[in-house]
Amino acid sequence: MTTPQIVALAGNPNVGKSTLFNALTGARQHVGNWPGKTVEKVEGLITIGDRQYKVVDLPGTYSLNAYSSEEIIARDFIINEHPAAVVTVVDAANLERTLYLAVQIMELGVPAVLALNMADMAQRRGIRVNTALLAERLGGLPIVETIGSRGAGLNALRQAIYTQTNGTGRTLPQPVDYGQPLEAEIAALQAQIAADPILSRQFRPRWLATKLLENDEDLHARLEGAGYHPLIEAAHAAMERIAAQTGEDAETLITDRRYQMIAKWLRGAVQRPRSGVETRSDRADRVVTHPIWGVPIFLLLMWVIFQFTANVSAPLVDWIDATINGPFTRWAEALLNALSLAETWFGALVINGVIAGVGGVLVFIPVLFFLYLAVAVLEDSGYMARSAFVMDRVMRAIGLHGKSFLPLVVGFGCNVPAIYATRTLEDEDDRKLTAFITTFISCGARLPVYVVFGAAFFGAKAGNLIFGLYLLGIAIALLTGLALKRTVYRHKPPQPFVLELPPYRLPTPRNVWRQVWQRTAQFLRNATTIILAASIVIWFMLALPVRGEGRFNDVRTEDSLFGAVSRTIAPAFEPAGFASWETAGSLITGFVAKEAVISTMSQIYVQTADDAEVAGAEESQPAPRFADEAQELLRSLGEALVLTAQETVNIVPRTVNLLPGVHLGLADWLNRGEEAEETTALQDALIAAFTRTTGSAERGKLAAVAFNVFVLLYVPCMATVAAMRHEFGGRWVLYQSSYALLVAWLAATIVYQGGLLLGIG
Amino acid sequence: MPSLLSQVLQAVETADEPCTLAQLAHQFDLSPAMLEEMLTYWVRKGRLREVDSSPACASCGHGASCPFVAKMPRTYEVVRDDDPVCDTPPPVCRHCG
Repeated sequence: MTTPQIVALAGNPNVGKSTLFNALTGARQHVGNWPGKTVEKVEGLITIGDRQYKVVDLPGTYSLNAYSSEEIIARDFIINEHPAAVVTVVDAANLERTLYLAVQIMELGVPAVLALNMADMAQRRGIRVNTALLAERLGGLPIVETIGSRGAGLNALRQAIYTQTNGTGRTLPQPVDYGQPLEAEIAALQAQIAADPILSRQFRPRWLATKLLENDEDLHARLEGAGYHPLIEAAHAAMERIAAQTGEDAETLITDRRYQMIAKWLRGAVQRPRSGVETRSDRADRVVTHPIWGVPIFLLLMWVIFQFTANVSAPLVDWIDATINGPFTRWAEALLNALSLAETWFGALVINGVIAGVGGVLVFIPVLFFLYLAVAVLEDSGYMARSAFVMDRVMRAIGLHGKSFLPLVVGFGCNVPAIYATRTLEDEDDRKLTAFITTFISCGARLPVYVVFGAAFFGAKAGNLIFGLYLLGIAIALLTGLALKRTVYRHKPPQPFVLELPPYRLPTPRNVWRQVWQRTAQFLRNATTIILAASIVIWFMLALPVRGEGRFNDVRTEDSLFGAVSRTIAPAFEPAGFASWETAGSLITGFVAKEAVISTMSQIYVQTADDAEVAGAEESQPAPRFADEAQELLRSLGEALVLTAQETVNIVPRTVNLLPGVHLGLADWLNRGEEAEETTALQDALIAAFTRTTGSAERGKLAAVAFNVFVLLYVPCMATVAAMRHEFGGRWVLYQSSYALLVAWLAATIVYQGGLLLGIG
Repeated sequence: MPSLLSQVLQAVETADEPCTLAQLAHQFDLSPAMLEEMLTYWVRKGRLREVDSSPACASCGHGASCPFVAKMPRTYEVVRDDDPVCDTPPPVCRHCG
């Protein structure tokens, strides 16, 4: 048998080139490195008919433009090794993107074969390629459909290789017509190259002439080094003439011509589903991203999400609260009793510190779960990316960078990654401005606070309070941005940009569940780490007496270290209506993590309730039996699940009822009628405390709203502060935090005092 | 008449507001994939910048898979003459080193 002929396998990365190579060569492979490079070189031997071939798998490249070492390796191999044929592997489902390399290989003048790989994927996506028509347009070039992973189309590929390496039967590629004035300049340079015996032997003259006009740096450098100064000068002169005649550089014109050729070849040869017709995604986008309707639709979806979050989760929140504060706490007390620890400080730490603090936050797992579920559905459907696009318009309308809304969308989940997301903004001032306003976007950790207060003071209308708070956060962020853009960060006009919006699709349960689980698990991790640590510290501060007659673990909460610290800042909140040491104290711990506001309140109010219990010396009731409690837990869980399903159904009438004059009835599967919503122990304590502090129930409600406004806007949690310091420095963080504190105080005061002026309470 | 490539660049540079890839492709009667190729050319030429807007954050120990990071759309934006010369820092959080 004679020396094997060389066949090169070229293609873009991720088009299944190596899979096809393996299918073609089987186990007869040799792996090494390209000379002087760390890029892997794989070769294999195959026999087709009476001939043997050495198939070389070239590195995956997008072009032969010498932008990377892979591209130079692939190009040099084809030029220097003169393969008998080059098989260009392209993605059958993405010919527009992968044919560019094929065009460049064809320009090298080597016998070529086009392998439309992953043909099965293309078929599944409804893409039909008319290979005969495409081959005709490519001047009779052999085109083979392959599925490398299944070995399909290999015989046809082998046959095409055999034909193309047969001197008489092969088809050589047609040159691309670049039109005038390029063709004239290419011809002149081509003649100059052809006249040089060394150059014309090494390169195809037309190809080299074209590459020189493309200003290929690698080739220019090599020819300069080899002393071909006149040729380089002639190329530069030609490029200048082309630029003078057309107003564009030669490289752009050449590239443009190749793209236009590809588009021409593919027109009619590739049939896509609904090709040329407006897709459902396009039709949906006409409404969803409409300049006028886009924003109201976004707001309506937000409203639905918060109704869904607050109402659907409520029965499960009540169930977990009743479980933690009832049976679970009793079982823990029984265990501590059995270990003779119930009357010790450790027992108090477990019950009043860990269970009250961490349990107070764990109660809200259903709230976060349903929020993340709604957000995951929106993300997976492709809407979330569109919300950023819709809000871009609003941002730009008030002079902010359009892309500023992208970090803000991230901020709805957590402010920390949102701060880092500002890195996608090129301009430093735009970055600082966006980060400055990001903390006003309400993160998921603040949601439990709104839910506790919303359910306590607004019952079934808690969703409206939550929606209002989220809107207020966005409004304050935009107003702050507007003010800063007009004063501190007066700078360049916003840059235009193009967004790649994903097509709409039906959310997949697997994707949605993964996101919901990861986010809920993170909330759980926070509860069992940061909140646990904060709860223990707060318990010790509550147990340490600083005044009065108390002793360690036997002190009135207001006489404790925590009470004393909180009392010093409480008067500052007098104008906002929540000047009690309890609320002030919870705001301090809220700096650690926003959920800690709730865990601290749970601890304080549980302890206070215990104090009252001790003072009142209530008669203790006999503990129920374990079996009875377990049975009751299961029964109440079933009831909570039924109510959860009911509230999910009720989202529809609640939303439709927004229309004026419409009043659809709500489902009531357990025949509970209009009975009052259940409240948790903490919610009862909050209603009592705010009513007591302000003097009336209505004023208490007003103060509760003001408190939530403060929680929304005041200094972000310490993780966010650390992220901001890392990105923008300590001084900037000081300004931002001071501003946030001031805005929060002013907004809360305006809400409370404004409400009083309007006669509320 | 400028080349199609230059017309695409001009359309992006002179846009009054953000546009989607699909809108721009429709405007030039191109497939979105072909338009993306053309935009990539201008990215290579340094006239546009391609930005993956989904940040990664390591502050909660999740590294690049922070659960709170929403999948944000890729964008192409115009590089201005007075933009910083240094490479755009990747949107990766280095909060905890």
